[in-house]
Amino acid sequence: MIQNKLVEFSVNHPRLIIFITLLLSLLFGLQFPKATIDTDPKHMLPATSPVRVYNDQVEKWFGLYPDTIVLGIYNKDGIFNKDTLENITKLTGEILKMKGVAVRDVTSFTTADNVFAQNNDLQVLPLLQKIPQTQEEMEVFKSSLYNNPLLVDRLISKDGTTTAIYVPLEEGANGKVIADQLKKLVRKSGGAEEYYIAGDPVARDTFGAQMFTQMAVFSPLAGMLMFIALFIMFRNFNMVILNMSIAMISIIWSMGLLIGLKFPVHIMSSMIPVFLMSISTDSIHIFNEFCFRFRELKEKKPAIIDTMKVVGAPVSATAMATAAGFACLAFGHIIPVKVFGIFIAFGTLVIRLMSFTLIPAVLSMMKDKTLLKISQKEDIKENPTSRFLRKLGELSVKNAGLILVAGLVLLTLAIIGTAKIRINNNMVSWFKEKSEIRKADAILNSQLGGTSLGYLIVSGPGEDFFKKPGAMKYLESLQREVEKSPLVGKTTSVADYVKRINRVLHKDSPEYETIPDSGTVISQYLFLFGMSAKQSVLNNVIDYPFQKANIWVQLKTWDASAMREVINIAKNYTLRHPMPELEVKPAGIAYFNMVWNDEVLYDMIRTFIFATILVLFILILEFKSFRWGIISIIPLIFAILLVYGFIGFTGKDFDMPISVLSTLTLGMAIDFAIHFASRFKRRYMETQEPLEETLYWTVSRPGRGIIRNAVLFALGFSVMAFASLTPYITVGLFIMSTMLLSAITTLVFLPVLIKLFPKFLLFKKEVPK
Amino acid sequence: MTKHFIKGTIFLILISFLAVNPLLAATKSEGQGIIKKSQQAFYYAGKDFKARVFMKLINPQGQQRIRDLVMLRKNEPNEEQRYFIYFYEPADVRNTTFMVFKYPNKDSSRWLFIPSINMVKRIAANDKRSSFIGSDFTYEDISGRDIIFDTHTLLREEAQGGKACYVVESIPKEESEYTKKISWIDKTNFLPLKEEYYDSRGELYKVFTADEIKTVQGFPTVTRRTMKNLKSGHRTEVTFKEVNYNLGIEEDLFSERNLKNPPQRWIK
Repeated sequence: MIQNKLVEFSVNHPRLIIFITLLLSLLFGLQFPKATIDTDPKHMLPATSPVRVYNDQVEKWFGLYPDTIVLGIYNKDGIFNKDTLENITKLTGEILKMKGVAVRDVTSFTTADNVFAQNNDLQVLPLLQKIPQTQEEMEVFKSSLYNNPLLVDRLISKDGTTTAIYVPLEEGANGKVIADQLKKLVRKSGGAEEYYIAGDPVARDTFGAQMFTQMAVFSPLAGMLMFIALFIMFRNFNMVILNMSIAMISIIWSMGLLIGLKFPVHIMSSMIPVFLMSISTDSIHIFNEFCFRFRELKEKKPAIIDTMKVVGAPVSATAMATAAGFACLAFGHIIPVKVFGIFIAFGTLVIRLMSFTLIPAVLSMMKDKTLLKISQKEDIKENPTSRFLRKLGELSVKNAGLILVAGLVLLTLAIIGTAKIRINNNMVSWFKEKSEIRKADAILNSQLGGTSLGYLIVSGPGEDFFKKPGAMKYLESLQREVEKSPLVGKTTSVADYVKRINRVLHKDSPEYETIPDSGTVISQYLFLFGMSAKQSVLNNVIDYPFQKANIWVQLKTWDASAMREVINIAKNYTLRHPMPELEVKPAGIAYFNMVWNDEVLYDMIRTFIFATILVLFILILEFKSFRWGIISIIPLIFAILLVYGFIGFTGKDFDMPISVLSTLTLGMAIDFAIHFASRFKRRYMETQEPLEETLYWTVSRPGRGIIRNAVLFALGFSVMAFASLTPYITVGLFIMSTMLLSAITTLVFLPVLIKLFPKFLLFKKEVPK
Repeated sequence: MTKHFIKGTIFLILISFLAVNPLLAATKSEGQGIIKKSQQAFYYAGKDFKARVFMKLINPQGQQRIRDLVMLRKNEPNEEQRYFIYFYEPADVRNTTFMVFKYPNKDSSRWLFIPSINMVKRIAANDKRSSFIGSDFTYEDISGRDIIFDTHTLLREEAQGGKACYVVESIPKEESEYTKKISWIDKTNFLPLKEEYYDSRGELYKVFTADEIKTVQGFPTVTRRTMKNLKSGHRTEVTFKEVNYNLGIEEDLFSERNLKNPPQRWIK
């Protein structure tokens, strides 16, 4: 076999192998300075995806900005005092000077207009023309705000404690950069006010940036933890360094290739190092077996070659399964996830190559004395882990029936729990509850209309459609319907402006807060409004030919389900009140978040199913047996179901990060079953031992490798539990528990299944008498 | 040697400051004078004025809204002006009329007649930032901004579109829509050929160009002009047709009664 030849060659020419490896690593390493970074989660979807294309279109129709930061200003004693108003004025002035801000459409007390009636006149004036000096003037200002429903919940909270400055961003501006500048600005301003910075671009770009920095911290940290763990396991630096080098080489090669091929390092690909580090721990099986063999043979080279003959097959198979599991990601639609999958698959193959070249080469160069010392501790009869594992094996095999029943009970519970899973996504909740972003979002959502913005685009059959009273009234009742949802804080449309004009033209009397019954009147109102206010105000809600109207829907939560509810309400309304050729379509950032989260989620579920089938296929090929394929995947599926069931029972949302993970763990955790089954089969064929004894041996000897592998794996991801972003914590805990659980299920349930169904699994001649 | 050199340099710098300072003052008063003449030529030509005005409001997608109107202007003493506007297009606002009393130094008064509800309404608005009938021109751009609001400095003289021009910089004394305006003013007829507006960050955001100038009854008149907002991509193109000066527009045209019932001979 080529693999065996490769091992022999490496053992005989160790220096050449090491030289070539270092040379190649240098070449890949030289690519690193060319790295470009992309932290925008929006780029998860290609620019040609329908939702991005439609959103771009909507932004053009209505002159909208893709991103707006909300700067909330809160004063517990109310904002109607000179100091606060002066601060707002100064702040707005400063914001208007900031780079990346779409200056002309910043909305605050000083830049927004108010339309109101005074002394029989129609006033279209800046909300805050000059700061009121007397109590009387202040009262006038106050009532001018509260009398205009368009302003309440947007620029002033009902209780008068909160206002906001809406800061739209120019294309390409980074939300975190501007949020940081705003933070600096408000820190300087002092005063009794508290400031809150919220909005999608802040969450998104902060998330992107933090993900990167956290990866930069956690990759080395994970490496160090594994270093320590490896040292405890082998008590030898050379061994540890060899193990870590494999990880480093695979990281350098795959990241170097990624950068060399001009892919930007995206949030997803920034996680490659941690994953490769964990995957590289698979070579622990080689060291594990080598130590046993060396103790038995006392000679290096034959021990290496023998080890690779025994372990080679499962190491190859696990690498194939892992690579295949990740390569499956390439069949999804999410580009960064595809890139991530392909390069991890590549890294996995590099690790596999190293297993047959570098590891034998280095082992052959190590001193006999050192190796003897290492392997001394590996006595299967004396080692406490091995002894414990043997007992575990005996326990499960002797109580096979009982354990199977217990397993079935757990499985039923897991399925019930899994059925309870609630699919949802909320980017703001990716931050910890005490984080500034979460706090800002919570405050602004309770005080004002809501920081999450969606649009409902209502289009009619032709030009001037929205000058008809019927169309305008339809818009209004659709708004009222949508507002019934407790998740909706405020809606705004052109109908609100028409009603406003109607009222202020008629001495501000409330009974005129209606839509006129004549199309001409509506047209002339719109014309009047367009004559006096800023252009953009009207453009934001109605398109040029008056054919499409835009309802702004402010949501009180970033839950993807909130926008889904709005869409459903709108759909039901149009079904119950059909209007020919009228169409309602969602858009906006809330909608975008819903779509991209959904896309990733369902893409991952599809990939997960596909990966399961593929891994099963590889198992069947590897064992040349359909039955063994099925039996080996059972412990893993069981472990994953247990974790899902747990998620279902805790009520935690099944969100995008979790869905990505399920697919990732599959290819990695299957390794345990492959090692177990392959070693068991080989041992069973080679020796005359009874079935039970072979099972005990497998649980205690390769089993120890499995446990070591799982522990190292779990350690690598455990550092993520200390991250400040909840998806990382989820990733860390999820992978840790899936890995440990599947190691346990493999070591407990595979022996049980083999013991209970020997006829199903073993050739007739192999069945013990 | 070096000591002498430094001393000499300092002396030279001092001298040049002394020489430049009065020059600076001179360019300032010159700038003010040029703008004054320019405003007279641009906004105040003749005793009165009438034109049919076509406006195209064009959004970044190239979609258009049309404004077709008759504009009448009469100059009053003390640089006050009266404007009377009658709308033909958009069709659904036909018969809408609009009247502006322009005062230097304060916001103008505006009255609008809304035919569909037969109502005349006085509108108080901010001239500096409210858009003139939805266009890229503000009221100020249409009727002129008081000269004392800005400090005007003659920067240089240069050719613009083949015509010799003064280049004048105007910087608002108080916070305003723009932070700097640069005007190219034709040296012969004092009409502004081009204006650049800079925003709070010092970035160019709005450009005015005079695209066609005709002399009517001896008054050089900008008959086609464009205002383009570089930030929003929106622009407005204006064409003046049937331009007439000194028609003898009577004072009492500018009344609420005439808003509701505009005299046919003036709006034809």
